[in-house]
Amino acid sequence: MNLLPLVLYAAAGIAHAVHFARRQPQVGRAATTLLILAALSHTFVIGMQTMEVRHVPFANPSNAVSTFVWLFALSYLYVEITTDERAMGVFIVPMLVGLQLIPALSPGVERIDPVFDSPAFWVHVSSLLFAYASFGLAGVLGLTYVVQFKEIKKKHLGYFYTRLPSLQTLDVMNARAVAIGWLFLTLGVVVGAIWTAQARAALPDDPNLRAMALNDPKIFVAVLTWAVYSFALFARRTMGWSGRRAAWLSAVGFAIVLLNFLPINYFVTTSHTF
Amino acid sequence: MELGVGIDVHLFLLGVSHRTASVDLRERLDFSSRDVGAAVEALAARSSAAESVVLSTCNRSEIYVATADPARAREELVAFLSNYHQLPPDVFLPHLFTYDDAAAAHHLFRVAAGLDSLVVGEPQVLGQVKEAFQAAAARHCTGPLLNKTFHLAFGVGKRVRNETALGEGAVSVSFAAVSLARKIFGKLHGRRVLVVGAGEISALTAQHLRSHGVAEIVITSRTAAHAEALAAEVSGRAVPWSEMTAGISRADIVITATGSQRPIITRAAVAAATGRRRPDPLFIIDIAVPRDVDPSVAEIEQVFLYNVDDLQNIVQENLARRGAEIARAEAIVADELARFTAWQRSRRAIPTVVALRQRFDEIRRAELERLDGRFAGLPPEARARVDEVTRLIVEKLLLEPTEQLKALPDEETQGIYTEAVNRLFRLGDAPADAAENDTAPLRNPRSRDD
Repeated sequence: MNLLPLVLYAAAGIAHAVHFARRQPQVGRAATTLLILAALSHTFVIGMQTMEVRHVPFANPSNAVSTFVWLFALSYLYVEITTDERAMGVFIVPMLVGLQLIPALSPGVERIDPVFDSPAFWVHVSSLLFAYASFGLAGVLGLTYVVQFKEIKKKHLGYFYTRLPSLQTLDVMNARAVAIGWLFLTLGVVVGAIWTAQARAALPDDPNLRAMALNDPKIFVAVLTWAVYSFALFARRTMGWSGRRAAWLSAVGFAIVLLNFLPINYFVTTSHTF
Repeated sequence: MELGVGIDVHLFLLGVSHRTASVDLRERLDFSSRDVGAAVEALAARSSAAESVVLSTCNRSEIYVATADPARAREELVAFLSNYHQLPPDVFLPHLFTYDDAAAAHHLFRVAAGLDSLVVGEPQVLGQVKEAFQAAAARHCTGPLLNKTFHLAFGVGKRVRNETALGEGAVSVSFAAVSLARKIFGKLHGRRVLVVGAGEISALTAQHLRSHGVAEIVITSRTAAHAEALAAEVSGRAVPWSEMTAGISRADIVITATGSQRPIITRAAVAAATGRRRPDPLFIIDIAVPRDVDPSVAEIEQVFLYNVDDLQNIVQENLARRGAEIARAEAIVADELARFTAWQRSRRAIPTVVALRQRFDEIRRAELERLDGRFAGLPPEARARVDEVTRLIVEKLLLEPTEQLKALPDEETQGIYTEAVNRLFRLGDAPADAAENDTAPLRNPRSRDD
C-alpha cells in the first residue's frame, strides 16, 4: 500500500530536479502537483491504516517512518505553496523517497500494545514526529545556506547561486522551522514523561515501562536533541548566532535526529519500539 | 477579387537599428522623443498601407505596415521619414533595411525576444514593442495582419523570458552589485546603505538600490560638497567624513569609491564596526581603483567583500551565459515563425474557399428557383424550412474541405490543391447555368477523356 506514494514521491522528486536544472515554470507547477498527489495518496494510505488498527500507524519503525514521511511532506508542501519557492524540494523530496522505501519494502500495519492506547501517548508520538519533520526542513535549509554562503563569500557564483533563495530568506525560514520543531519536541518529551509516570503507576511490572529512563539510548539522544535545539534558539537570541553558525547547528541537530530515528531504532534495544 | 479580408496583403518592414546606423542617425530618425501615437497617425493619413505600427527605441526606428504593394509602400515610407524628420533621403537611405512577409515577422520576433538588442536579452524591448503596438491600435491603425503578427511577437517575448535564461544575470557592474545584495538580504526594504566617496558608478548603484526600496542612503566624502550633491541626486543624507566608521556599523551595504591611494577601510575598523552591530551580514562593494578596502576585511565572518574586478567577472560570466542561451531563444523564434507562416497560408486559401462557397450557393439557389413552381403550394414556413435545410447541407459539405484547404503544410501543396479545386468545381469560370451544370456530368460522364 505504501508503494503508490513512493512512486509519486519519486516522480515529484524527478520533477523538482528538472525544475531546479531548467527553471521552467510549467515544470515547477507539475512538480508541486505531483507532490500534492503523493501527499494525498499517502494521506489515504495512512487513513486506511488508521481505520484498520484504530490509531495512527506507528506501532513499529516502518509504520512510524511512513507517518514521519507523511508529516514531513505536508510541512514541506506548506512551505512550497506559501513561498512559491521550489529549490528546497530538490533536497527534501529525494530524502522523502529514501525514507519511504522502508515502509514500501516492509508493508503491513501493526496494532500497538493496549498499554499505549491512550490520547497522551498519541500526542507524544505525533508531536515528536512533527518536530522531527520540522528539524528535517531546518537541516536542509541550513545546508543550502552553507552552500550559498560559500559561493557568495568565495565569489564563485555558480550553479546554486542562481537557483536558491536569498541567504536572508533561508536564515529566516531556518529560524522558524527550528522554533516550531523545538516547541513540538518539548511538548512530545513532556507528555511522554507524564504518560510514563501514569502508566508506571498502573502497570508497575511492564519491562518496557521500567526501561524508560535517561540511560535508555533512545531517550538519552532525544534529550540531547532537545539540548542542541534549545542551544540553537538561545544562541540566536542572545549571542547573535544566526547565519552560518545557526545553519550548521540545525544540520548537526537533524543528523542526531536521523541517528535516533533509524540506527538506534533498528539496532540498539531500547524501551521504544521506534 | 475584393473580399475585404486583405488576402494579397503583405507584411512590410522598413527601418534603421544599431546594426545599420550610428547613434547620430538613429537620434535624427527617433520617434520616441516625440509622440509615437502622433507619428503613426500621421503615417496612416499619408500612406496607402492599410495597417501601420511605428516602433522606436534608442536602438531602433522601425515601421511595420500591411500593404498590397510593398514597392509602393517602401517609397511612401521613405518619403514619410524624410518629411517627418526633415532629412533628405540620401542621409538615411544607405542605412535602411527592409523585410517582407515572413522575413519581417522573423525580425520582429527576434526584436521582441531581445535577440536583436545591443545587450542581448535585455528585458525592456518587449515592453517597448507592446507600447508601439498599443499606440497604433488605440488609433485604429492596426488590422488583422499586424494584430496577429504583433500578438505572436508578444508570445515569443514571453516564451523566451520563461523558457530560457537569455535575460538572466546582471550585465552591468551596478546591476551585478544590486543582484548580489538581493541574494544576500532578500528584499532590500529597510536596509541601510553607506556610500563612501561620490562617483558615477556609486551614484548609479545607489540609485538602483533606492529603486529596490532601501530605507536609507547615507553619503560621506572628503569633499562635503560632493557628498551633498550626490545626496540630493539619490535623495540620501550627507554626513561628515569623520563619521565614516560609525556609518559602517549602522549600514548593511557599503559602497566605496574614493580616489585614495591607500586603503581607507581597514580590517580593524570593520571588525570594530561589526562587533557593535547586529549579526546580520555586511556587504561591501569596493568600486575604487586602487582599492579602498583592505582585502583581509573579507576574512571577517559576516562580511561579503566585492571589488570592481569581481563584479566585472560576474558581468562577463553572465554575458557568456546569455550567449549560450541564444540558440534556445532562436529555436523559439523559429517555432513561432512557423505558426506565422501557417497562418498566412491559411489566409491565402481564403479566396478559393470563398469562391467554392459562392459556387455551391449558386447551385443551391438555382435548384430552389427551378423547383419554385412545385413549392408554390407550400406554406411560407415550410418554404423557409426548405431554404434552411439546403443551406445547412451545403455548409456541412463544405466544412471539411475548408478546414483542409486552410491547414495545408506548404505553398506547393497549397498550389496543387487550389488548382484541383478550381478545376473540379470550375471556379475560374463565369457562373454556369445551374441546370446544365447539374446534369452535364450525367449526360457525358467521360467528357474529360475526350
